[in-house]
Amino acid sequence: MTTRKVFFAAALAVIAHAASAQGDPKRGEKVFEECRACHAIEKGSNGVGPSLHGVIGRRAAELDDFRYSPAFKRANITWTRQNLDAFLADPQKLVPANRMPYAGMPEAKDRADVIEYMQRILK
Amino acid sequence: MAQKLKGVDVVLVGLGWTGGILAKELSEAGMKVVALERGAMRSTEKDFAVPMIRDELRYSARNDLMQNPAKDTLTIRNNPSQEALPMRRLGSFLPGEGVGGAGVHWNGHTWRWTDMEFKVRSLYEERYGKAYIPADMTIQDWGITYAELEPYYDRFEYTAGISGKAGNIRGKIQPGGSPFEAPRAREYPLPPLRSSLAGEMFAVAASANGYHPFPRPTANASRAYTNPDGARLGACQYCGFCERFGCEANAKGSPHITVIPIAMRNPNFELRTHAWVTKVLKDSGGKRVTGVTYTSVLNGEEYEQPAQLVILCAYAINNVHLMLLSGLGVPYDAVTQKGVIGKNYCYQTGAGATLFFEGRHFNPFMSTGGLSMVADDYNTNLDFDRGPHGFIGGYSLSGGMTGGRPISFRPLPSGTPQWGKAWKAATAQWYGSAMTISSSGSVMANRYNYYDLDPTYRNAFGQPLMRMTFDYKENEHRMSRHTAQAINEIAKSMNPTSLNPATARTDPWTVVPYQSTHNTGGTIMGVNPRTSAVNKYLQSWDYHNLFVMGASVFPHNSAYNPTGPVGALTYWTAEAIKKRYAKNPGPLVSA
Ligand SMILES: Cc1cc2nc3c(=O)[nH]c(=O)nc-3n(C[C@H](O)[C@H](O)[C@H](O)COP(=O)(O)OP(=O)(O)OC[C@H]3O[C@@H](n4cnc5c(N)ncnc54)[C@H](O)[C@@H]3O)c2cc1C
Ligand code: HEC
Repeated sequence: MTTRKVFFAAALAVIAHAASAQGDPKRGEKVFEECRACHAIEKGSNGVGPSLHGVIGRRAAELDDFRYSPAFKRANITWTRQNLDAFLADPQKLVPANRMPYAGMPEAKDRADVIEYMQRILK
Repeated sequence: MAQKLKGVDVVLVGLGWTGGILAKELSEAGMKVVALERGAMRSTEKDFAVPMIRDELRYSARNDLMQNPAKDTLTIRNNPSQEALPMRRLGSFLPGEGVGGAGVHWNGHTWRWTDMEFKVRSLYEERYGKAYIPADMTIQDWGITYAELEPYYDRFEYTAGISGKAGNIRGKIQPGGSPFEAPRAREYPLPPLRSSLAGEMFAVAASANGYHPFPRPTANASRAYTNPDGARLGACQYCGFCERFGCEANAKGSPHITVIPIAMRNPNFELRTHAWVTKVLKDSGGKRVTGVTYTSVLNGEEYEQPAQLVILCAYAINNVHLMLLSGLGVPYDAVTQKGVIGKNYCYQTGAGATLFFEGRHFNPFMSTGGLSMVADDYNTNLDFDRGPHGFIGGYSLSGGMTGGRPISFRPLPSGTPQWGKAWKAATAQWYGSAMTISSSGSVMANRYNYYDLDPTYRNAFGQPLMRMTFDYKENEHRMSRHTAQAINEIAKSMNPTSLNPATARTDPWTVVPYQSTHNTGGTIMGVNPRTSAVNKYLQSWDYHNLFVMGASVFPHNSAYNPTGPVGALTYWTAEAIKKRYAKNPGPLVSA
C-alpha cells in the first residue's frame, strides 16, 4: 500500500467514526437486507435464524420456538447496543461456536446504522 | 385399482428447478397446479443447518440427498453388444430427490448456451463441409435461437442470483468478462465472488499463454440479494460445502428458497410429497394425455391424478424413463435409427491436472461451488479452428478448487504410497499446497449412445429399469487429447514443485467415479417430429398437452453445465403456455 492510500484510509476511518455516534436508520434498513435471508422482523416467524422481533434488550437465545445452538444457550448475554455491535463485528468472537452462518460486519458505520434501525423497529 | 382424484389444470411430475419455476408461473396465471414429488419436503432451517449439513460422510460419500438406487436405478453398458448391468451405487452422476431436486445440492455454475450449440449442424457444415461430420454423429440443430432465449436467460439469472462478470453487453466487449460471450442485455445481478489464490495464479498463467480468463458465473451470492420475486438470499460464507450439500446461509440460488415457497403461498398450488409417478396416461384416441398415476411411497396406495396438462419435470433421466414406461412416442432403435424416445443421450468429458507448490498456501477449505477462473478460448470461441484437430465441440478450462473437504480432497503427487506413514506425511504436506486445473468438454450425439428399457432388471415397482448405452467416441478422444495438452502447457508454465499432469480420457466411460450430473438427451427438441420428441416450446409432437422440461430436450451436450438453458427454456415454455396454449390448446408449432 502506498502512503497516500494509507492516509486516505485513515481519513475515512475518522469520518466513519464520527458518523457512527448517531447511526442513520434509513441507511440501516438497507444494511439490514444482509440479515433478511435468515431473520424475519415479524413476531413468531423463524427462518434459518430466529425472529428478531423485540430483540433489542432481550436476553440471547430466549425464544421457545427456535432451536438455538448450545453455544448460544450458554451465552448469558443481553442484546444491548454494545453487545449487538460486538456480535455483528465478529459473531464467533462474542459467542464462540454459535451457528449463525454470517461472517460479520467489519464497518463500524454499517453496524451503527443497522443497530439504529433495529433499535427503532425491533423493540 | 388406483383411486381416481379430482382433475386439475396442470400436473407437474417432480419439483426441482423446472417444476418449481412452472409451479410459480402457472399458479400465478390462475391455473390449478398440483406437483407430485417422489421425495420429501426440504427446507434450509430443518434440513441444512450447521453443523449437521457439514457431514461429508452422510451427504457426499453416502449421497443422502440423492436418488436411492435400491429403489430405482439404471442399467449401464458401453455399447449395444454388451449386457447392461444395474448401477447399484450412485457414482458418475447423482440424480436428486426431494423438494428442490438437484437444485438444492448443485454447485451453481450458470451458463448461457448459444447458437454455437443451437445451430451445431449447420454451423459445422457451413464451415467445414458436410463430410466433416462423421456419419454416426447424430447432431442436429435445436430449432431455437440465442436471441429468442436471451430474455429468459436473464430471467433465470436474476431469479437464482448469479454472481459474475459480463463479457459482452449488447455487443460491447466488457473488460474482465469473457470476450467470447454472446451479447447479453445487462450485467449479472451480482458481482463476481472474491477470487482465490489458485484462481488468480491460473488466471495469470492463462493470460500469459494467450487465454482470456474470467470469473465463473455461479449461483453463489457474492452478497445478500433480493431477487425480482422478492426471495431473499444471504451472502456466501465460502464454507466449501456446496456441491452435494444444501446451503445453510441461503446463499445458493435454489428452487426451495426462491420459486417454490412463492408457489406454496398461492392457493392455486398444491404439493404432494412422497408421490412417485409411475405412468403418464393417454386417451383412447391417442392424441392427448389425460393425467398420471402415482404411488404414495409412505403407504403404497395408488392414485390417478387427471389433468388437462401434464408436464414432466422429473430430471433429464427420469423424464425419458417415464416416456418409455408410458409408451409415449416411438422408442428409438439404434439399428434402424427410427424412433426418437431415448435418442441422443449425451454426457461430458474432460481432463485435469494437479499442481503442487511447496510453500504456497491455497486454503482450499475456503471456497464455494463456483470459485474458479475459466478460459473459453477452446469452447465458445468460434474463431478457434477445429479443422486441424478433427473434432466438433469444445471444452472450457478452469483453475481453482470448489472445496477442500476432508474425505474427498487429498491431493498427492503421483507415486506417493497409498497408505501408511509416508501417505500421512504427504497428505499433511500437500493438502494446503496443491491446486487443480480442470476442464469440461462437450459430447456430440452418436447413433449408438441412447436409452431404452432394460429387458431384464426391474425397479421397486416392478417396472423395467431404463438402460443407458454410452461411450466416448473418436470425436471426444481427439478433443480430450487436445485438452490434456492445453492443460499441461499452462501447468508447466506455472513451474510447480511437482505436477500430476492431465491425461486424455480415452478409456471406456464407467459409472465410477463421480464426474457430473449433466446428462442430456432422450426427449430431444427439434423442428421435425421424425427426428425429435418435442418442438421448440418443449411440447410433445404427439400429445399437445404433454410438455417435457429439462436437459433431456438437449439434442447434444456442450462443455457447459446445463441449468442455464434448462432454466431459460422453462421460463420460455411457461410463457408460451400462459400466453398461447392456455387460450387455445393445441400444437404450438404445426408439424
Ligand atoms: C452434485 C450436483 C452438482 C451440480 N452442479 C451443477 C452446476 O454447477 N451447474 C449446473 O448447471 N447444473 C448442475 N447440476 C445439475 C442441476 O442440478 C440440474 O440441471 C437441475 O437441478 C435440473 O433441474 P430439473 O428440474 O430438471 O431436475 P431436478 O432439479 O433434479 O428435479 C427433479 C425432481 O423430480 C423428482 N422425480 C423424479 N422422478 C419422479 C417421479 N417418477 N415421480 C415424482 N417425482 C419424481 C425428483 O425427486 C426431483 O426432486 C448439478 C447436479 C448435481 C447432482
Ligand atoms: C445465513 C443466515 C443468517 C444471517 C445472514 C444472519 N443471521 Fe443472525 N442468526 C442466524 C442463526 C442461525 C442464529 C442462531 C445461531 C445459534 O443458535 O447459534 C442467529 C442469531 C442471531 C441473533 C441472536 C438472536 C437471539 O434470539 O438471541 C441476533 C441478534 C442476530 N442473529 C442478528 C443478525 C443480524 C443483525 C444479521 C445481519 C447483519 C444477521 N443476524 C444475519 C442466522 C443468520
